[in-house]
Amino acid sequence: MEVTWEDGARSTYSGEQLRWACPCAECRGEAGIPGRLARVKTLNDAEVRIRDVTLVGQYALQIAFESGHATGIYTFSLLRHLV
Amino acid sequence: MTTPSSQQVLEVLGRIKDPDLGRDVVSLGMIKDLDVSPQGKVSFTFELTTPACPVRDRFKSQAEDAVGELPGVTAVEVRMTANVRPAFLRPKPSEILPGVKQTIAVASGKGGVGKSTVAVNLAAALRKSGASVGLLDADIYGPSIPAMTGSHVVPQQVNGHLLPIEAHGMKLMSFGHINPGDQPTIYRGPMVGKAIEAMMVQVDWGVLDYLVIDLPPGTGDASLTLAQAVPLTGVAIVCTPQDVATDIAVKALQMFRKLNVTPLGLIENMSWYVCPDCGHRHEIFSHGGAEAAAKRLGVPFLGAIPLEEGIRQDADTGTPVVISRPESAGAKAFVAIASQVAARTSIQSFRQLPVINVH
Repeated sequence: MEVTWEDGARSTYSGEQLRWACPCAECRGEAGIPGRLARVKTLNDAEVRIRDVTLVGQYALQIAFESGHATGIYTFSLLRHLV
Repeated sequence: MTTPSSQQVLEVLGRIKDPDLGRDVVSLGMIKDLDVSPQGKVSFTFELTTPACPVRDRFKSQAEDAVGELPGVTAVEVRMTANVRPAFLRPKPSEILPGVKQTIAVASGKGGVGKSTVAVNLAAALRKSGASVGLLDADIYGPSIPAMTGSHVVPQQVNGHLLPIEAHGMKLMSFGHINPGDQPTIYRGPMVGKAIEAMMVQVDWGVLDYLVIDLPPGTGDASLTLAQAVPLTGVAIVCTPQDVATDIAVKALQMFRKLNVTPLGLIENMSWYVCPDCGHRHEIFSHGGAEAAAKRLGVPFLGAIPLEEGIRQDADTGTPVVISRPESAGAKAFVAIASQVAARTSIQSFRQLPVINVH
């Protein structure tokens, strides 16, 4: 996935990188309980392949993966700092 | 005497700068259908980005003067029109408000500061300027728009879509239309979000220049749903001058900033009261609080509205004051604020959201 920012800068992301950065509660964990990404060591192909990207308001992207996982809302500021 | 070329005309017009967009009106594409007749008559269309443009008259006289001074010009005809541009280029066609060019939210954080009154009059003022306008009442628990617009009508359903209510030349939709009478809507948060989404997706809004959205108080479900569901052009924050109101307005504004929704500015309501008997100006809720807060936060101050009995009366009888008493100080304040809001939204339409490509 490639993003061209308002200021003209460009960032490129791989599906794998984005999947490991998923900010959702299931992946990150919540209330002190570790999330799935802290438990698993590897992710399979379908889990890291991007299926769809939707704009959320004007502050974030919702990324859906082939595995069906789509609960992560990636804010633009998170994406900008991810590279 | 020879007549000037189109190039020469565009050159002098190119010295006129749009104060809000910070660029000249020729490169912004506002000059159209330019014609120079063999007799030296110059005519063109001056297309503004909003019919509520605060500098409309100034542009017209500036254009007439600049072209009129060119040698060989015998007459100048400037046709002023407006074409509201869509706020953002969306990455793909969306089923949410596909025909709506600009979405303007009116919020306050705090209740009782006159959000709905401001939203109704802001919408009516934009309509009066010539724009096509819709007004969505996102206050599910305390809908005020039906009463304030005198539209106690149940919406009709066509092909699974609700038709908005027409009143005062505007398209309206409120939960008060869908669930009329004195029965309360008793919903938990997620239901509120669903109801607001339904009012955007299931209502046939058609093509609109502006959709004004009257938000309920608070920085929770309703505001969040809205900021996630549509790319809002911006949000106008209403507050009264006193500290307890401006403090909460600041919280509302900061919330929208976190969601990357541009604050269009602050509006001060109930700013002063002129006693009809003695003519003395009272500042019941203090004065200037919103302007000070706007300065502190680095956002525009959009204007102040007086506390007037007429505004309240007209809200209760269902006609916005900008329509019923256009000469009143309150109505004039609303019209001026609407111009400011329109100018701020125009700036947004020249902004670009990040472009996303997936390979």
